[in-house]
Amino acid sequence: MLTFLVRRLLASLVVLLVASYIVYVLTAYSGDPLEDLRQSTARNKEYLMQQRTEKFNLDVPPPLRYFIWLSGLLRGFIGQFTLGENILGQAVTDQVAAAIGMTLQLITASLVLAVFIGITIGITTALRQYSTYDYSATFLSFLFFSLPSFWVAVMLKQYVGIAFNDYLEDPVIPPLVIVGVALVAGLVWMVIIGGPVRRRLIVFASATLATGAVFTFIALTDWFNDPSLGIVVIALLGAGVAVLVTALVAGLRNRKALYTSLVVALVGVALYYPFQLISLSLTLWSVIALGVLAIVVGVVIGWLFAGPDRDQSMRAGGITALFVGLLVLLDRFMQSWDIYVGSGTINGRPIGTVGSATPGLTGSFWIEGIDTFTHLLLPTAGLMLISLAGYSRYSRASLLEVMNQDYIRTARAKGLTERTVVVRHAFRNALIPLTTIVAFDVGGLIGGAVITENVFGWSGMGKLFVDALTTVDVNQMMGFFLVTGVVAITFNLLADLAYSALDPRIRVNS
Amino acid sequence: MRIRRFGAAGAAIAAGALVLAGCAPGGGSEIEEGTALSVAWNQAFYAYNGNTADGNATANNNIIYMMSDSFAYYDDTPALVQNPDFGSYEKLSDDPLTIKYTLADGVKWSDGTAVSTADLLLSWAANSGAFNNVEPEVDPETGEVLNQDEIDAGVFFDSAAIGGGLDLVTEVPEVDGNSITMTYSEPFVDWELAFNLQLIPAHVTYQQSVDDAASDADAAAAVATAIEEGDTEVLGPLSAFWSHGYDMVSMPSDPDLVLSYGPYVITDLVQDEFVTLTANEGYTWGEHKPVIEEITVRFIGDPLAAVQALENGEVSIIAPQSTADILTALEGLDDVTVDTTSDATYEHVDLTVNNGGPFDPATYGGDAEKAQLVRQAFLKTIPRAEIIEKLIKPLNPEAVLDDSQTIFPGAPGYDDMIAENGSAEYAEVDIEGAKALLAEAGVTTPVEVNFMYALSNPRRVNEYQLIAESAAQAGFTVIDAGNDDWGSKLGDGSYDAVVFGWQSTSTAVTSSQATFYSTGGNNLNGYANEEVDALYDQLAVEYDPEAQIDLLIEIEKILWADAYGVTVFQFPGVTAYDNTVVDGVVPAPLAPMFFWNFWEWELVG
Repeated sequence: MLTFLVRRLLASLVVLLVASYIVYVLTAYSGDPLEDLRQSTARNKEYLMQQRTEKFNLDVPPPLRYFIWLSGLLRGFIGQFTLGENILGQAVTDQVAAAIGMTLQLITASLVLAVFIGITIGITTALRQYSTYDYSATFLSFLFFSLPSFWVAVMLKQYVGIAFNDYLEDPVIPPLVIVGVALVAGLVWMVIIGGPVRRRLIVFASATLATGAVFTFIALTDWFNDPSLGIVVIALLGAGVAVLVTALVAGLRNRKALYTSLVVALVGVALYYPFQLISLSLTLWSVIALGVLAIVVGVVIGWLFAGPDRDQSMRAGGITALFVGLLVLLDRFMQSWDIYVGSGTINGRPIGTVGSATPGLTGSFWIEGIDTFTHLLLPTAGLMLISLAGYSRYSRASLLEVMNQDYIRTARAKGLTERTVVVRHAFRNALIPLTTIVAFDVGGLIGGAVITENVFGWSGMGKLFVDALTTVDVNQMMGFFLVTGVVAITFNLLADLAYSALDPRIRVNS
Repeated sequence: MRIRRFGAAGAAIAAGALVLAGCAPGGGSEIEEGTALSVAWNQAFYAYNGNTADGNATANNNIIYMMSDSFAYYDDTPALVQNPDFGSYEKLSDDPLTIKYTLADGVKWSDGTAVSTADLLLSWAANSGAFNNVEPEVDPETGEVLNQDEIDAGVFFDSAAIGGGLDLVTEVPEVDGNSITMTYSEPFVDWELAFNLQLIPAHVTYQQSVDDAASDADAAAAVATAIEEGDTEVLGPLSAFWSHGYDMVSMPSDPDLVLSYGPYVITDLVQDEFVTLTANEGYTWGEHKPVIEEITVRFIGDPLAAVQALENGEVSIIAPQSTADILTALEGLDDVTVDTTSDATYEHVDLTVNNGGPFDPATYGGDAEKAQLVRQAFLKTIPRAEIIEKLIKPLNPEAVLDDSQTIFPGAPGYDDMIAENGSAEYAEVDIEGAKALLAEAGVTTPVEVNFMYALSNPRRVNEYQLIAESAAQAGFTVIDAGNDDWGSKLGDGSYDAVVFGWQSTSTAVTSSQATFYSTGGNNLNGYANEEVDALYDQLAVEYDPEAQIDLLIEIEKILWADAYGVTVFQFPGVTAYDNTVVDGVVPAPLAPMFFWNFWEWELVG
């Protein structure tokens, strides 16, 4: 294990060194860092050019200049680490630190959502292989996969962001649109749920009616301008979540687990009102703390109910608590929505198309939370749509492979329920190859959201890269390269280790 | 079970109503409203001191313009407008050139300290480089600054203005009450621009670098004394702080570092996101009183992102890089006024006369006349009108030929200039005329011309193609010497003709001297004409604006007659604003671009 680690790390270091040399020289030769000054007619042009030349050692040929940069890096051993300054005279380390924070903020939500939704789609399509749903999902995921990200980003802004804001200014949904949306929704649900013709028809009818009703309600009450769930809807949704979670985690036959989830949901609903009273004084950390507390309470309730499998009850309780908590949070955010939309800085157009926050907007945790949401929504959707495809395809393939294994047949032959077979025996093993892909993706996304960042005006790693390239700013480029390179290598290593930890057949002691 | 749920629901509805009623106003109580405007710029603000080598960028200077005041500023013509509310200046004598700058009463920093002659002295000391006694020495092996201790001990104001003309004021200006008098060691006709620089608070610089306990007045006085006495002990730390102490990417914790002496004051700065300027309550001395309480400048690099932000109402004024796509996108927007204008960079074709090529007399055994005929013939084939029509008009429908090498179109004297300078000879493509000239020169056709341009710039690729096509008809073989490294190849004689842009940052009359003077720093094609040199020498001591223009006309007559090259167009620019939000926006070609009349912006409705 240790030899493996050391060998991998040393090899990575060599790769990084060689790559850094190539990147440095290529960037330096990619253009002329003095170009903007060359066209100047300023009286002291010569002086300015000389100043820059001296500062960045432009008189040293790039293949040698690299070692000047490297020496700054190596002086880290004597406590004088430096990546130099960029062309604007700012320390590259500061720039990179600020940029990586932005990028992490941008990609976290999209990564989590893409993994979650992608795996869900992948698993469900695998379980219903060759159904209409499978084909539709495959078609859509390939469609999104092949869309260029800059185009998706611009379209999202135009037809989701700006169009939604326009709608809010004049909140009228024409009846025809409601009918159309309802029919489409009915079709989608019908395809997803499937089954015999009669079931399909029932699903279609009820989904169409339900969607139509919801949209009519939205149109009549101008819900998007002042959305809310209210305790009744939360109670209903909470009960639904409780049942669903139990079904997945323990199976509905496990009554104790079901009671656990239902009680947890009930407790959550009961705490709805007290929560409103304290909500204004909350901050991010106290909300997180409350979330953890909720999970603990859920787990404890599960422990108290015990049942045939105490673990299952505890798990069901904890997960239900988390989701019911999220519902209450969502409701609280909704309550602040109309204040947010109506404020002068937002001026009735909440969905942002650039930047990560509205300038000059300060407010409670809820207001600022909404602001972050309105700015993250579009870039997250853009990144997610594109990476969704990969996860859904991989998880589908992986689950299909597992489902054909002998031990699945054995499990079925043992008389285990289909739920147990799928969730406990197949699903877990199907996830193993996915860890590798997710780890790769984290490394890739840190430096790979270049276009999305640029289009949405986020100053993350991508912008750092683009700016460095356009101004032939080698120091900044190397700052970018160093971070993304190290992240990529680290996550590759983590993927290998995780794989061996998850799959007992793999050993890393070569 | 059922009863319990109904009870809970009932209680919950009541509770929910209470909650909605009770909590709703609480969530929004913290939002304060005032008149506010958001505008976009394509690069983030990163330095309060826009005079330093690092900080001298439009992105900084636009912001600085709104939080400072000056003796004069550029309007949209562009012409220099004097601003007596802040201070006045007068030329006391021509020889030696002596200028007296007087600050108006009541001009003060936003911390209440008066703007004083100490600040003016510091501006001179820093931007003239008069006290700089060390230059950084860099080890070529390691990149390490070898004499860091010396720099720390010595004086080094790292100013971008050094060499800009103020360096000719070698003696410490004399202070008299509220005015300082500068004496130039040589005549310098662009003196008006030389000292029109942002002031940096002397007292803050002193307190931050030398003695933080000194009172504001004492600190300012100490700076003045140090400069007058040349006290390097004080000037050393002062210069170090002046050069780098005002670099900032986010709001500094010490408000002294963002003092304003103009209509607005910086109140918020978030890295790479935005900077907010709020009306300066202490601005009482001038007429540029802000109408809008708060101006936020958001940093949006991507041009299309700026257009969509304008459409979405997130910003109300944008000046994106002008391309056909961006203009199409802008024209599709309702309620948006799009102003296409000319920027301060002009495209031109130069011919190299010292590389042994077709335009060099040496090629013809020193027959200058022959080379001149060939040059004239080549210039006559350049389809200037077609270039404007095909490449520029789509971006700026009002674009016209730029017919002057030395005066910005629309600036004072331009009309006289183009009427007289002889550019009319090259207004139209004249293939027959070119053939006749070549025949007269008696050169064997085809004449090969190495033509360099920026290969990565699509517009210049198109220009090259139009020119090559047209010149071929007259008997020139234009050889494609397009290059990505064109910038560093300028002046190396590897090309016979080149198309690129000269960027003007001011209306200095002598700025063209570097290009056309035989020994000028921007003379990249070996052009040398004693008459032109003599006229520039004359211009260098001519202070009368009318006479300056007459001299420039004389110079251009020779340049055009010599077939130096041709000017083609001003770069197109675009400014767009939401006319349901703001009114009074007027684009300008020189920095601070559309910000120049921010005090005339008005919110609509």
